Amino acid sequence: MIWTSRLASLWRNLVHRRRREGDLDEEVRAYAAILEDENVARGLPPEEARRQALIEMGGLEQVKEDVRAVKMGAFLETIGRDVRYGARTLARAPGFTVAAVLALALGIGATTAIFGVVDAVLLRPLPYNQPERLAVVLHGGRYPVAPANYLDWRREASAFERMGAAEYWQTNLSGADRPERVLGLHLTADVLPLLGVSPLLGRVFTPDEEKAGRDQVVVLGYRIWQRRFGGDPSVVGRTVALDGVPHAVVGVMPRGFEFPPFWARGAELWAPLPMAERAAARRDGRSLRVFGRLRPDSSLEQARAQMATITARLDQAYPATNRDVVVRTLDDMVVGNVRSSLLVLLGAVGFVLLIACANVAHMLLARAAARHKEIALRVALGASRARVVRQLLTESLMLASAGGLVGLALAAWMIRALVALSGDSLPRLETAGLDPRVLAATLAVSFLTGIAFGLVPALQASRLDLGMSLKEGERGSTAGAGRHRLRRLLMGSEMALALVLLVGAGLMIRTFVALRAVDPGFRPGHVLSAVVSVTGSSAGEPGRRTAFYREVLDRLHALPGVVSASAINHLPLAGDIWGWPFYVEGRPRPAPGEAPGATYRVVLPGYFETMGLPLVRGRDFGLRDDLGAPGVVIVNELLAERHWPGEDPIGKRISLEDPDKQAWLTVVGVARNGVRREWAEAAGAEMFLPFLQSPNYREAMRPMFTYMTLVVRGTGESAVLGPALREAIWDTDPDVSISAVQTMDEVVARATASPRLYLLLLGSFAAVALALAAVGIYGVMSYSVAQRRNEIGIRMALGARPADVLRLVMGEAMGVAVAGAAAGLAAALALTRLMSGLLYGVASTDPLTFAAVCAVLTAVALTATYVPARRAVRVDPLSALRAE
Amino acid sequence: MTAPSNLLQGTLDLLILKTLTLGEKHGVAIARRIEQVTRGTFVVKPGSLFPALHRMEEAGWLTSSWGASDNNRRARYYQLTRAGRQQLKTETREWGRISLAIAAALRG
Repeated sequence: MIWTSRLASLWRNLVHRRRREGDLDEEVRAYAAILEDENVARGLPPEEARRQALIEMGGLEQVKEDVRAVKMGAFLETIGRDVRYGARTLARAPGFTVAAVLALALGIGATTAIFGVVDAVLLRPLPYNQPERLAVVLHGGRYPVAPANYLDWRREASAFERMGAAEYWQTNLSGADRPERVLGLHLTADVLPLLGVSPLLGRVFTPDEEKAGRDQVVVLGYRIWQRRFGGDPSVVGRTVALDGVPHAVVGVMPRGFEFPPFWARGAELWAPLPMAERAAARRDGRSLRVFGRLRPDSSLEQARAQMATITARLDQAYPATNRDVVVRTLDDMVVGNVRSSLLVLLGAVGFVLLIACANVAHMLLARAAARHKEIALRVALGASRARVVRQLLTESLMLASAGGLVGLALAAWMIRALVALSGDSLPRLETAGLDPRVLAATLAVSFLTGIAFGLVPALQASRLDLGMSLKEGERGSTAGAGRHRLRRLLMGSEMALALVLLVGAGLMIRTFVALRAVDPGFRPGHVLSAVVSVTGSSAGEPGRRTAFYREVLDRLHALPGVVSASAINHLPLAGDIWGWPFYVEGRPRPAPGEAPGATYRVVLPGYFETMGLPLVRGRDFGLRDDLGAPGVVIVNELLAERHWPGEDPIGKRISLEDPDKQAWLTVVGVARNGVRREWAEAAGAEMFLPFLQSPNYREAMRPMFTYMTLVVRGTGESAVLGPALREAIWDTDPDVSISAVQTMDEVVARATASPRLYLLLLGSFAAVALALAAVGIYGVMSYSVAQRRNEIGIRMALGARPADVLRLVMGEAMGVAVAGAAAGLAAALALTRLMSGLLYGVASTDPLTFAAVCAVLTAVALTATYVPARRAVRVDPLSALRAE
Repeated sequence: MTAPSNLLQGTLDLLILKTLTLGEKHGVAIARRIEQVTRGTFVVKPGSLFPALHRMEEAGWLTSSWGASDNNRRARYYQLTRAGRQQLKTETREWGRISLAIAAALRG
């Protein structure tokens, strides 16, 4: 009841302010009138009666002011007045205001943008039900699993409520338009239910549909449903052609649903995985990613322990089939390897914000000194210290809010740029934006920033000696030792923070230089690549495929500006990697599962020339290396050295099948080592087999064998070959699908996108930090010189030479700078370890980087100090003393 | 309130509440009544009375309305609410406790 009354009053005070004011005025006047009446009644003359009444009132305005102060919402009104006053004050110092707002906008904007990224990538839960209960079971934590193993695990691992498996799938979706190559997954019926996401329309698969023959059903993703089917709900029950085979659409998943969140990201179709067919495969045909949902009563550790027992037993029964099986949470799988990088970025951007705060705090300190008299006057007129602090803090918060607003615009721009620049290097980044969570964070950061840079200067400014401050001509004496120490502390911290950021950026530069120096083995310039899939077209029929590829290559060769053209099954850096065991002729037969393996490449003639991947020995495949001819193979240097050290590998033989089958392949060439999946990984063994001798690639209908990546080397800009390439393919067969048309330069850029992104970000943070620190040091020194003008004047009048003054002023500044840099070095040594995951070819304590950064920072600090110091030297002793 | 009795703010509240138990009054009447019952010990000036009245009204202890004074002038009349009577009881009890305590302290 009491509270409702207070709230009602607050409402009246704020909303009906004018009426309340009128009432109050009338009430006070009525009171005075009654007093006057009393005085008249006592027999005083009218004039005197009125005078006495007013004396007793003690001033009408004062009474009203006292009433206003106790009213509900008086606080809000005071804030309103503070804000108006602050706005006038800030508007009178536009230079200061703009500089402070810009510094804060940089700090807050960058922090907001990086927080937006961290929020989208790390903090927001995956779009599944209870995602923290989801786990992934893979060999070595990243490699696929054999179907027979999956079936055993699913049967035995009771720590999982459900376990499902997924297999990579690319398919040609055909219809009215040109056939489209779509990424999809084959899933066991457990997978979608274990994610706990219901379809938007229709249903998901039933276990029954895992059976071959009943598996021609498909669930669509939201985006492809919108894109290809216009969001038509009647699509459920309709039939679509996938690789030329009709599939019934049984369901559509909701908007925002993504699966899988790693590895085959961007999958848009899900179809049943015919397990009976797969299970017949050998235990080493590894193609599945296994997902599980933990039972509510079991922990990840329990699941790990149980899987360790199961796989140990299976490995005994089937040697070398169940080694190194790792259970990870799905979340760890998705963001585990970017978490530390993003936290490094967040830390770096926090440093930028701190530097910005320190800078604005400087400016406020200097301003507070300049506003000494104003503040002293307010205190003399009765403002309490709390009142003065509140006024000054209001101004700080206004600056922070303005900085936050400008920063928000900056953040929106930065997030867009980041999404564009990141390539695929950050999962889920595409969902980043200025959503309410990020806006709330910006608000919080702006507020804290305002307090952080405003509080100490405000407290300093309000602690003053009235007598001193109001006296005419006070100068120099105001800068008490405390304020001076504070300013030096700020300057030193800025140096330290800037140094840490510069070291981070320096290490990224070194990393980038090292990455640029990596030799991919091939020459990416002037090469265009495109994935061509023949499934569902007449070119894909057994017996027609070889002719199709040869005709396409012939047409490409005939194009003006084309030097050479060929094809490979999996393009380095962009394509899949298949490991394949092999046997070396004349060596003892290895134990089961112990045969050496190599990356399995299948190429058409001319691949090495087209890619610029040199053959260091021997020859390329030719058209005569066909099915009827003896089997041949080209290996890379690493494989050759490993198995025939010191010998000539040409003429040696290996087999991809059981040695007893005598299916030997003769080594006819040795290719240079090249990058395989990742740009900076160590070279691995690779073998190249001729397409013409691969029955699988010539005949097999399984989707994994029905696509190749064409590569074309031109004389000029490789991207311009795109239209001609499509024409050459579709002129040969209009039903084949073309996807992933990209230059090799683009492929390489994507493979190095993430270090480039981190370099760009850390580099720009460091640049901003350096600029802010330089401005900060310059500001402090200018102010300090101005403060010490008369001291310097006296020194010069007493015979100090300009060099002495220069030494005096710069010595002090450099002392602070060196102390700050030393603290920064210590911090950098401790902190750069955290970014070792981002580095390549450079240690996190790289002495060269540290030395270079110290040199740069010292030079900047010297320059920023020298300019104000020169001004000190030019002080005219006479005018300085006269001013006293 | 002014010297000689610059007492706690609560004292003024208590006196105002007590004064209004006899019925609604305008500001000057409240001030005069307090002067009268305290035999001139408390001289309530508008600078104290007005903030106190408005604060107490916002707290829900008083309500006010416009009315006519004896001389037929428009004046703001204040009246106790139920919460106000309750408050008076609480404060009276509290005051008794405090005055006993202080008296005891001064005696000892």
